[in-house]
Amino acid sequence: MADATPFSPVILKHIHEPGSHTIEHYQARGGYETARNLVGTAEPASLVKIVEDSGLRGRGGAGFPTGKKWSFLAKGTGKPAYLAVNGDESEPGTFKDRYILEKDPHQLLEGVILTCWAIQSNHAFIYLRGEFILGYERLEAAVREAKAKGFIGKNIFGKNFDLKVVVMRGAGAYICGEETGMLSSIEGGRGYPKIKPPFPAVSGVFKCPTIVNNVETIAAVSHILKHGAAWHKQWGTEKSPGFKIFCLSGAVKNPGVYEVPLGITMREMIEVYGGGLIEGRTLKAVIPGGLSAPLLTPEMVDKCTLDYESLASLGSMLGSGGITVLHDGVDLMSAVYNTMRFYHHESCGQCTPCREGTGWLEKLAHKFHGGHAHSGDVDLVGEVAKNMRGRTICVLADAAAMPMQSYLQHFRGEFEKRTHEPAHVERLRTPRDEITPTAKRESVQHGAPNVVDVGMGMDRV
Amino acid sequence: MPVKTLSPERLKRFHDMVDDYPNKRSMLMMTLRLVEEEFGCINDEAMEIAADLCGVTPAHVQGMVTFYTHFKRSAHGKHRFMVCATLMCALDGNTDQALKQIESKLGLKPGQRTQDGLFSCEKVECLADCDKPPVVQKDFEHFCSMKGKALDDYIESLLKLENKTSAEYQNSSGVEMDLRISVLPSHYNFEGETESGARQFDDKDPYFKPGEAPRTTSVPPPLLTPLTAPVADGVNMNGAQHG
Ligand SMILES: Cc1cc2nc3c(=O)[nH]c(=O)nc-3n(C[C@H](O)[C@H](O)[C@H](O)COP(=O)(O)O)c2cc1C
Ligand code: SF4
Repeated sequence: MADATPFSPVILKHIHEPGSHTIEHYQARGGYETARNLVGTAEPASLVKIVEDSGLRGRGGAGFPTGKKWSFLAKGTGKPAYLAVNGDESEPGTFKDRYILEKDPHQLLEGVILTCWAIQSNHAFIYLRGEFILGYERLEAAVREAKAKGFIGKNIFGKNFDLKVVVMRGAGAYICGEETGMLSSIEGGRGYPKIKPPFPAVSGVFKCPTIVNNVETIAAVSHILKHGAAWHKQWGTEKSPGFKIFCLSGAVKNPGVYEVPLGITMREMIEVYGGGLIEGRTLKAVIPGGLSAPLLTPEMVDKCTLDYESLASLGSMLGSGGITVLHDGVDLMSAVYNTMRFYHHESCGQCTPCREGTGWLEKLAHKFHGGHAHSGDVDLVGEVAKNMRGRTICVLADAAAMPMQSYLQHFRGEFEKRTHEPAHVERLRTPRDEITPTAKRESVQHGAPNVVDVGMGMDRV
Repeated sequence: MPVKTLSPERLKRFHDMVDDYPNKRSMLMMTLRLVEEEFGCINDEAMEIAADLCGVTPAHVQGMVTFYTHFKRSAHGKHRFMVCATLMCALDGNTDQALKQIESKLGLKPGQRTQDGLFSCEKVECLADCDKPPVVQKDFEHFCSMKGKALDDYIESLLKLENKTSAEYQNSSGVEMDLRISVLPSHYNFEGETESGARQFDDKDPYFKPGEAPRTTSVPPPLLTPLTAPVADGVNMNGAQHG
């Protein structure tokens, strides 16, 4: 779609202004006016329609159309409906919600108010990860300010509509980012995901219909309902309209958050926004959508544009928009090992393929990292990863298997370089007089120049 | 009954929250934060208080505390360093450097606590500030790009606060932190408890339609008549004779 107006950041527009997190600052730039105009007067279904027409897709990872999700909300159940805003942001490489929560929490709250009116819910939970300290304080303060002004509470904006907004804190569990895991945590239990269906929109928190959306999605809702669906659709592509915040990290000169229209090229993101790779390094691979997204090789990076379809066609995903650039000096086996340790640590342990599979992958990656894997282990890695997919309650198992499969697909050579045959196997295979004691074995040279080992060891607490 | 409860100020904060939640059990995450604040960490007593306030069993609370790694436990040091060790921070040796600096100042390897219990250090997973590695948290303080002089100076300031010098720690090695919980508090009243960990349902519970009477747990009659007198030698619980 042709760009009508040149794009300038929408959600992150004010983050660099001092005091941007206060209600005075927010109201001075027209904040809460949309909510004042729409809540209590606009037909809720018409708001859902606007969001559906705008083509907004979930920014938390799965990219599910937001308006469509809202329209699935079970009605006439006699139970209250809930909104649960997902601010867990634990996908490694993602740090966009942090900026919204710390620098501009009121636009999130306005989005929450509008969403609650649209889905006719009187109770919203905002679940933040426990490690967000400033973000929690600022959001709590924002809720207090909005309550004092009568934007949250009983009869908001003087209309016949009550709204409770409750800020909750997690405590360091990645799995509480998964929507049903988060709901379990809100209910006061361990963050165990639940089998879907029933989807949360039918039976979610406290067995009541619940809408789960990411912080960025809800923040975007406040802008879409202000400017309209057509405004949102002027950016982005046909199937991925709008704009999104990308989090750039790794080996680029200017890492940070960049809000851009969807559909720009990955090269532009890295070269223009990121300022190119750090001196003296070349590109080895890019993780395009948080640690769970399958990796892109430099050739794929050239073809890639930043929208849901392009990345899907390359066998990866846009995910949460966390782009990590790996340079040529990164020891890939240590990166695999680090990644698998993460998933093993964060698996909640309910499903055997995930609990055991992530453990297997971690141990196998450990062997490759240390250079004591056997040649059969390369296939074993693929086998284990394959058997983890699509067999579990939530998709954490897939999230662990997908990057592993992509490493194996694109960098099989690196795995093979780290294998060696144990002496007795080698002896069985070679004619007696040809035996030489050279085992194929290459382990990382710790401290070798230009090689970065990110393994970080197996011990953890 | 628990021996203690929260301080009046925090108890008020707890009661202020009650209206925000549909049932008591769902207040548990936030209540655990309150008791953590009160005690400085979540110890057995804190868990019992949280269980009592939220109407769940202490066992359920223990299950929560061992699942969520961010809660501070009594095994952790007074000053708890958490260093992000996930890929984005570990790139270019950032995590390594932060860990090495902590080790050189405090003699701590990841997973250890100093012998006086003042400091501890652990590796954690992504802290969501990946553009400024390494990310380090000290209890509830968040630092990015925390290496080199910034980290050294910060540790020195903590040492000064505690009237210690880093020389005192360099020769002694840290002790491994043991985060397991093994003992169930013995003096707890288990009355009316159900399998899900919920002890009582109140009428605010949205599982039930408004107007419907709150569910009460019916306690099945005991299979055996409770023992009042000490068991005679050779008689087991079923009353059968040994031998
Ligand atoms: C293992 C796992 C972790 C997730 N972590 C997050 C997270 O940290 N933040 C988030 O917003 N969504 C996360 N999600 C996605 C949520 O399940 C859910 O799709 C999302 O919050 C829906 O919101 P959206 O439609 O606005 O994207 C995660 C999913 C999985 C499977
Ligand atoms: S897939 Fe893994 S994280 Fe998800 S519910 Fe199963 S065991 Fe838990």
